[in-house]
Amino acid sequence: MSIELKYPTEVERFLPEIIKRNYGKWKERKFHGSGIIEHISETGERVFTIKVALPPNARVSADTLEKFADIADKYGVGALRITVAGNVEFITDSLEKAQKIKEEVEKMGFPVGGWRGAMWGINTCTAFLTCQIGVVDAPSIGKALGDALKPYFTGEIPLPAKLRIFISGCPSGCAGGTATDIAIVGMWGAPPKIREEVLPLCMPPPKALAKIPESQIFLVQVCPTGALTLRRQDGQIKLVLVGEKCINCGRCKDNCDAFDYDPKDVGVAILVGGRMSNSGGGPRLARNLIPWLPANPPRYEEIVAVVKQVVEVWRQNAKPGERLADFIDRIGWAKFLDLVGVPRPIAEYMWMPDIARTYLTYRARGEYIFKGFRDAI
Amino acid sequence: MAAPPGLPPPEKLLEKADEYLAELEKGPWPSHVSELKKTGYPVRVYGVGLVARKSPWGPSAVKAKRLTGVLARIARDWVPGGGEEVHFRVFHTPGRFLPTDYLRKIIQISREYGVGLIEAVGQTGAMVINVKSKDLGDKMIDTLREIGTDVGGSGDAIRELNACVGPALCEFALYDTLNWLVAFRKDKRVHDATAVPGYPYKFKIKLSGCPMDCARANRGDIGFIGVWKGAPEVDQELLRKKIENGEVDPEKLVANCPSGAISWDPAKKELKIDGARCKKSMHCIRAAFPAIKPGKEKRVAVVVGGGSKGRYGPKLGWFIGFLKPDEVDKAIDVTFKVIKPWDEEAQAKYRLGDYILMEGLYRFIEKAGISLEDTPKYVEKLPDNVPYRVLPEEERKKFAEFAEKVKQLVRV
Repeated sequence: MSIELKYPTEVERFLPEIIKRNYGKWKERKFHGSGIIEHISETGERVFTIKVALPPNARVSADTLEKFADIADKYGVGALRITVAGNVEFITDSLEKAQKIKEEVEKMGFPVGGWRGAMWGINTCTAFLTCQIGVVDAPSIGKALGDALKPYFTGEIPLPAKLRIFISGCPSGCAGGTATDIAIVGMWGAPPKIREEVLPLCMPPPKALAKIPESQIFLVQVCPTGALTLRRQDGQIKLVLVGEKCINCGRCKDNCDAFDYDPKDVGVAILVGGRMSNSGGGPRLARNLIPWLPANPPRYEEIVAVVKQVVEVWRQNAKPGERLADFIDRIGWAKFLDLVGVPRPIAEYMWMPDIARTYLTYRARGEYIFKGFRDAI
Repeated sequence: MAAPPGLPPPEKLLEKADEYLAELEKGPWPSHVSELKKTGYPVRVYGVGLVARKSPWGPSAVKAKRLTGVLARIARDWVPGGGEEVHFRVFHTPGRFLPTDYLRKIIQISREYGVGLIEAVGQTGAMVINVKSKDLGDKMIDTLREIGTDVGGSGDAIRELNACVGPALCEFALYDTLNWLVAFRKDKRVHDATAVPGYPYKFKIKLSGCPMDCARANRGDIGFIGVWKGAPEVDQELLRKKIENGEVDPEKLVANCPSGAISWDPAKKELKIDGARCKKSMHCIRAAFPAIKPGKEKRVAVVVGGGSKGRYGPKLGWFIGFLKPDEVDKAIDVTFKVIKPWDEEAQAKYRLGDYILMEGLYRFIEKAGISLEDTPKYVEKLPDNVPYRVLPEEERKKFAEFAEKVKQLVRV
């Protein structure tokens, strides 16, 4: 058995001919409605790219992909491109063919759009499709949100600037962290319960446990606030969870299956105003708008309503070209909360350093954060 | 995870699951459930999870040739009927271009050994293919290798690398991201660290061609972002033509610049950009390309320590210096210089960013032995500055020397 990996390393092999000829020679771009972009090269050649939304979590069946391949062969240059945000891009060399591709994929039920002032796609983590630690199901939230926000993607309702939405099933933030315009993050809502029957699998055997200092126990190390501690009583050593110290970060659950939550406490936090690109004030993490909302499958009306409200506030009040983060900066956080109609701002984190703020705001349960920890930072 | 309380009996549960799944197939947005139903994926397990509001999957294991990139799940015992889910993380092609002949091969493999379900791009950047059963894993790996790709990148290893499309389809790319990606992949050290997990936590390498950061390099453990030094280059002649044609509004260019570095001279019809103030936001370049282009002095900014997981939660990267667009070998060296102190000293499940937070950026730079162009010497952004601290003698000495120097300059 060898561990040699075989990477696809030949750039040339995977590039379509037309791209190969114009590699690094692009000089201009034009937009043809929403979802079709034209790149013009120094050599005079033109390439049209059509952006198509995929289902949440970019899950496609082999049948659908084969149909895509057929379309790419028939009208395109025989290649597709997958984007990081979970969209698929068709590449072709004339506008007529581009329109044809648009027609074909729309017939299959895949909307075309997502450039310039529009929603660029919804990124979701796998959650209940694969993940064993997911708290809420991100793909179904993505589907419900997509149904409601489709006009913003296809350009029927233009937005001031780019809008990205990430949905993560738990605070691990696998869908792309919080550096995005609107991030929806699954929350445990209450401290985890320990399933004693599974715990021994994650702990050293009792004899070793008695000898190892507490700071060397993996689960104790992993907890960032010291909520997990060892108690020694009558010769018995027990892992104890101090509920007041827990900030719902889910790191214990990440590393051991013995931690469990109650579905009735589960909800999502909604964060706004993050950004990755350097346009304007530079990259930044998002801020907590609403620390907890119920997540009710399969349509998630509460989440959809709040997200739509935020998008509408931004759309109606922002200057053209202003991203959500810049808009919030211009009008101020308090004014933004007023516009959205959030009942009470979560103000206690405002004076904190950036890193700590995001960490605490989106991981803490409402205002019941462990005080000592908060003050220590 | 234990069964959630108040779960209905199995038949009712499945009925309700079907109801939820049907609900998720409605609406104008493409539905993942419709796609799942076309494949052999155990979609009812997913439905049961939705009804129970708890993930139906539990940890499992699979025997395969690969140490990384292979993941398996098994349905929890409260899921009626049960089911298993085995999936592989398959490396994407550079720039994620999929020629149809290659794509058809992937589809064929997915049908032959898998359930016919493909996650076109997973959140690590790899393509995820579901496998029919655990025994078919090795066969699938062999077939994938025949078409020139492989399985890898999970656990505490270097994950699938991520590069933006770069010069292949974008006029803003300031260095060749795709060839950098390939150079990284060909390097033996990267290769070994991807195949065998051995770090405190995962490590992500990301390459973005310009400050718009499409590959989200600011969120990688180490990210490389194309930038330039000084002001953007202005072709006054072309810009005048563009303004006459009404394509560009100079007033808007000035107003939209976030750093106020642009000034427009209406008499001379000339646009001036102050390089010292330019924040590299790309506003003017995007509005008036190619009349305004990135500056000639191109660089690759190195940022370290970003990520959304880890002990201290989500973080953005710290800037640690510039490289030149052709210094890819140096970039790989820097990557492993950065990894070294973290790998040796950090506790388990600490991301690089957590380690840097603990050590402090300057101590980290010193420990890693990084000296690049413009490696920061001053703290730009401090978390609340604590004014008191016990200083070691040599540091006190440094400040005393500094005072001596100033004394001579100022002459008190």
